Amino acid sequence: MNNKYQVYAVGIVGILLFTLALSALPESLNFFREEKSAMFAFTLTVIMIMLYEVRLAKSSSEDIFLRTIPGLKAVEEAVGRSTEMGRPILYVPGIMDMNEVETVAGVVVLGHVANMTAQYETELDVPVARAIVMQSARQVAKEAYMTQGRPEMYNEDMVHYVTDDQFAYAAAVNGIMQRDEPAACLYMGKFFAESLLFAETGNSIGAIQIAGTGSQTQIPFFVTACDYTLMGEEFFAASAYLSKEPELIAGITAQDIIKVLLIGFIMLAIVSRAFFDLGLTDFNLITLLNL
Amino acid sequence: MLLKRYIPVAIVAFFGALTLSAWFIDNETIETFANDDATQFFDIIAAFAVFLGALNLLKLQFIKVLKQQSEWQYSAIAIASFFFAFIIGFFIRGAFFVGEDVYFSQQAAEEAVVAMNSSDTVRPVDWGAHVQTDGSLFQWMFKYIFSPLSATMFALLAFFVASASFRAFRARNLEASLLLIAGIIIMLGRVPVGSLISSWLIMYIIAFSVGFGVNAYTRNRNMALGWVLGSFGLITGLGFTMGWPIDQPAIFYLPALQEWIYLVPNLAGSRAILIGIGLGIVATSLRYIFGLEKSYLGE
Repeated sequence: MNNKYQVYAVGIVGILLFTLALSALPESLNFFREEKSAMFAFTLTVIMIMLYEVRLAKSSSEDIFLRTIPGLKAVEEAVGRSTEMGRPILYVPGIMDMNEVETVAGVVVLGHVANMTAQYETELDVPVARAIVMQSARQVAKEAYMTQGRPEMYNEDMVHYVTDDQFAYAAAVNGIMQRDEPAACLYMGKFFAESLLFAETGNSIGAIQIAGTGSQTQIPFFVTACDYTLMGEEFFAASAYLSKEPELIAGITAQDIIKVLLIGFIMLAIVSRAFFDLGLTDFNLITLLNL
Repeated sequence: MLLKRYIPVAIVAFFGALTLSAWFIDNETIETFANDDATQFFDIIAAFAVFLGALNLLKLQFIKVLKQQSEWQYSAIAIASFFFAFIIGFFIRGAFFVGEDVYFSQQAAEEAVVAMNSSDTVRPVDWGAHVQTDGSLFQWMFKYIFSPLSATMFALLAFFVASASFRAFRARNLEASLLLIAGIIIMLGRVPVGSLISSWLIMYIIAFSVGFGVNAYTRNRNMALGWVLGSFGLITGLGFTMGWPIDQPAIFYLPALQEWIYLVPNLAGSRAILIGIGLGIVATSLRYIFGLEKSYLGE
């Protein structure tokens, strides 16, 4: 067995024992919510795997394999297309605030896009729906232009506030699309019903469109109307993928290991449930773990 | 460096870990912080940030009007709307009661009292309550300008769904064809006419479609005709022998079939995506908490 997996096996056993020990503490000392033991053990397992993978990535000189994500490869293509056509790039970081992980992920991807637009000297337009997002996006874009040695190209108003209201924002962004006819439209963040309004308008102006979201209900709309869509976890992996930093890519490796563990757990839960329903056992894993 | 990098990362790590621990630690202070205080801190910051946003919006719209850039007229409307909403929100009560009736101005209310020869007095609405009182100027703006405009944008979705579906449902390849078939089954199965279509008809259609496939694959018309006639005969024979009603066999009855598609393959796929999203969120959050990802600071 590979050494790495031995570490994980020992670690998981340790976490389970630690969780059991916490649950067994006397009532006067016990601040631990017993009913969330399974979730606690899972969280610790995720943390352990992630930190260990990062440590391995730091100490290793080997490249970590990442499968090609067409949507992310297309980002550079979209920037190149805009440059050739001499038209701007429209970047929409969703309609929610910075307390949503998806918005943060969207702003992070904006940094990478801004790096490219600075390199290619392409105009970037970022209308935002929240003032805090405006400030964060400005900071990220400014740093990107500085990093690329093009501070003179950075203009604070490339990231501008429009409105907090969902449909007013949709109307404003659609207006920008119709007037400026950007060559590429990127939608990265949290979206609701306005997703299709954006994507269809972008389609009508012939822009190359790339969307990334964790909003499950909006994924079908983006898949239908956009050229490329980053679905769920692909979107959260975008930053690591674009940065190519081993520490961040290690996080994705950890995610995959956890996914394999989860698949194993789901299979186990199905078997346990089947045994329970057939009367072969008097317990079922899901109820036992309080999930 | 300290102010722009280390302190923000430390703040994210501390508050992230604290909020996460609130899930597992049975402590009222931590729980109150995570559920109430932290969100209130955020709301306060967001409330102040709105001023920055509003100023930025006005600045850009004014520049557009002053430089008379393309379609600057819309910017003039945006500025006028902004000040209209601002003034009636902050400086005009816009609701004066005479009995149950509401008037926008005190003068109009007083004239109404005189006209009706009423003994009622004019009661102005309280400041603050005026933005939510039914019949106030602010509510009028909301009801007759803002809401219809929002509804108009929302209504556009119907047309966009149609145009997007038209593109998606073109049977260009196997996946698109499957999507088309599933879409038709779901749509027909969910409308009343779907329950009037018997399982027999669906089986005939399937047999006929397979016949098309046989013909396309073998280029043998006789074989295809044989298949279609044979399967039609089999379906009819089985149907009469077994006395199938309109909804039997259930697997070919549209309402039952659409429910199965919706609850089994569709749900399985969407749950798989949901698990991926959940894992992505957990991993991303942990990257922020442990300071592995700092690009949100511009690094």
